[in-house]
Amino acid sequence: MTEASTIAVSAEAGQPVGGQADEGRSLASDAWRQLKGNPIFWVSVSLITLFVVMALVPQLFTNVDPGAAVLKEARAEPGADAWFGRDIQGYDIYSRTVYGARASILVGVFSTLATVVIGLVMGVLAGYYGGFLDTLVSRVTDIFFAIPLLLGGILFMSTFPNDQNTPYLVVVGKVVLVLSVFGWPSIARLMRSSVLQVKPNDYVQAARALGASPWRIIRSHVMPNALAPVIVVSTINLGVFITAEATLSFLGIGLTPPAVSWGVAISDALVAVRTYPHILLFPSLFLSLAVLAFIMLGDAVRDAFDPKSR
Amino acid sequence: MRGLTRTVTMVAGISTVALLAAACGGGSGDKATSSSAGGKAGGAVTVRGCNPQNPLIPSNTTETCGGNVLDAITAKLVHYNPETGAPENDIADKIDTTDNQNFTVTIKKGYKFQDGTEVKAKNFVDAWNYAAYGPNAQSSGYFMEPIEGFGDMQCAGTDAEDPCKGFTPKAKTLTGLAVKDDYTFTIKTTEKVSNMPVRLGYSAFSPLPDTFFSDPKAYGEKPVGAGPYKLDSWTKNTEIKLSKFADYSGKFGGKLDAITFKIYQDADAAYTDVQANNLDVTDEVPSSAMIDDKYKTDLPDRNAQKAVGVIQTITFAPVKVDPNYADPKIRQAISMAIDRPTIIKQIFNNTRQPATGWVSPVVDGYKANACGEYCTFDAAKAKAKLDEAGGFKGGKMTIAYNADASHKAWVEATCNSIKGALGVDCVATPVVDFSTFRGNIAAGKQKGMFRTGWQMDYPSIENFLAPIFKTGASSNDGKYSNPEFDKLLTEAAASTDAAQANQKYQEAEALLANDMPAIPMWYSTATFGWSDKVTGVKITAFGTIDFSSLALK
Repeated sequence: MTEASTIAVSAEAGQPVGGQADEGRSLASDAWRQLKGNPIFWVSVSLITLFVVMALVPQLFTNVDPGAAVLKEARAEPGADAWFGRDIQGYDIYSRTVYGARASILVGVFSTLATVVIGLVMGVLAGYYGGFLDTLVSRVTDIFFAIPLLLGGILFMSTFPNDQNTPYLVVVGKVVLVLSVFGWPSIARLMRSSVLQVKPNDYVQAARALGASPWRIIRSHVMPNALAPVIVVSTINLGVFITAEATLSFLGIGLTPPAVSWGVAISDALVAVRTYPHILLFPSLFLSLAVLAFIMLGDAVRDAFDPKSR
Repeated sequence: MRGLTRTVTMVAGISTVALLAAACGGGSGDKATSSSAGGKAGGAVTVRGCNPQNPLIPSNTTETCGGNVLDAITAKLVHYNPETGAPENDIADKIDTTDNQNFTVTIKKGYKFQDGTEVKAKNFVDAWNYAAYGPNAQSSGYFMEPIEGFGDMQCAGTDAEDPCKGFTPKAKTLTGLAVKDDYTFTIKTTEKVSNMPVRLGYSAFSPLPDTFFSDPKAYGEKPVGAGPYKLDSWTKNTEIKLSKFADYSGKFGGKLDAITFKIYQDADAAYTDVQANNLDVTDEVPSSAMIDDKYKTDLPDRNAQKAVGVIQTITFAPVKVDPNYADPKIRQAISMAIDRPTIIKQIFNNTRQPATGWVSPVVDGYKANACGEYCTFDAAKAKAKLDEAGGFKGGKMTIAYNADASHKAWVEATCNSIKGALGVDCVATPVVDFSTFRGNIAAGKQKGMFRTGWQMDYPSIENFLAPIFKTGASSNDGKYSNPEFDKLLTEAAASTDAAQANQKYQEAEALLANDMPAIPMWYSTATFGWSDKVTGVKITAFGTIDFSSLALK
């Protein structure tokens, strides 16, 4: 929502709707007002903040080393010594879960950023310039659309497997890469249709008539007004990417040990599911909460940006 | 290279139970090793099977999936008694030798193959020649190695991938084998072999009918043996159906009329089917049911556990490949830093026994505690030993394992134990699959430590020493070489007295403690579960089902 100051008054939002006649309110500031009053927004934002802090400084939450195994106490139930109990190897589940947030958040945030950047560029190019460029981009997105995200992920990760010496960031980078490669087309399509909607508007035509360069038109007139749906969808996508990462790690081809991640933890917990379900419960719970938080945020933002739903 | 795949996955069934009741001590004891005997004759049962890796040719089957099926179909010269473990003559009438080098085998008359032809001396000689001939690429061909003339039948081409490419071996037959008449043949070995008759019960030594040689490929789809059961149909990925062979003339027939191997990809699925009485016997209880002995409450009085002839070890890369582990003191320190009992309790739920030497307790000649204090966990002593050796210079230790079987948990736990005791970082390193893993080891590319396992081919102390630690042996992954050790093995093989031979082998084993070419970890056990319908379920020393006692209630 950093674009608030630059967003011009759009055709629909500028008009008094349903008796709200306040002057000079942009779409974004309108949305913000709406969000402020939405409890779901605040719940999801606080959850997200919690997870982000967890990812940045896990030491704030626990001083137990996630790699310290007490095999003698393996599979211990939750207790004072280990709040969430211990897993099969005797690692502290609480500490593993806290440290596991980093991988998920990193993958989620970076994949979203990458898909948004690629999708925006492609979508704007296709939507604004049209013609041959549009056809080209649209067909390319069609090709990528034909490959399901997860299948593509499995293919890619099993073709280029990690080994023990792969640095953490490369491992995360690979997952981000594969999710971005297969995730950008939906954003590109969304952006393209959004741009097509904005382009015929009077203020865009006026800017063109005044001799503004295409770059300027895109930057200050088209983008701000076409961005809302992309913001909504990518927020929801962030949750989807976190799930995809966990799925790949669960299958043993995403993040690999010694990297700590929720997907790996869930996969390791599987053998004990009938006897010690708490080992599975905690990483799954955190994973669900993180995904839920982003999806709820996306939902709240969509409601705020969509005048029709008011 | 038998026995190095998955956890316990390999081989045909043999049994050496004699020592077990006495030697296995802990665990479920002998009470649980079989369900009550008896049961009626006839009927059909289903047992858990898995997809055979290769066509079903006895000399080309080295894993349990195919081995279990072949075991019921084929008869060999010698049969290992599931109760006493002693080799008993099956097709052989007698195997005579005076010098452990020249053997005369007389076979019984009247044994028939399932295609109606009689089993003759020629069927053995032809089958063994086929197995030994290099270009046939039989995975069990190396079993013929002791027989004279084996070397001349091997490929020695220049192609690194396939030495048989553009190369024809000098000989097509083993000079050490000769047919005397229809029911007699002789075996001459290159060196003295004291336990030759014991070896002959292995499936690679099965006789093959004449029809095999005209079309080995068709035989692989529908094998013909002289055993108690014949193969009726094999539906790929689904099931293999066997039925009783009416003309079986041996003493080791079964009570059942039909046995169906239902092929499962997943041990959990087979286990659930046994619980629901949809499958009669599973020879594998999944680890999810092992935790806290859950299977014992899932299948009350329908489960059994028994020690089998399998040992898991951690081998050090050859000194040339990784000099950091060359000092035996470092090796001993690492061995002492591994808390075997705790790992077994927490990771394997007591389904293993801590190893105290390099030989499985189920075989004749086993002597406890060959490894001594070096196989006993003592963090302080381990650290002191490492300091004595001047510390570890390689940075961090690694233990490699094949990631396509369930090794991750114990390797990680072992590394954590080493890390805790020695203060040296240790990383469990997965290698994508078994063949890549073995390939790396064979090519001398695998550094550090790596997991190795050995499932005996035949019940003898020799089988745990010679193929693994003798200079230049086929499975000597650590390229261990000790002239004194080799000398003792040769002396033992030449000894005509079994007790004397065993003593020499034990002396050789004791030498391993000084050099630590591999760290003994634990001996495996097999766990079975069965349905309400069957009785007489017995586990052989290989962890396979004994079909001679299995029956319907």
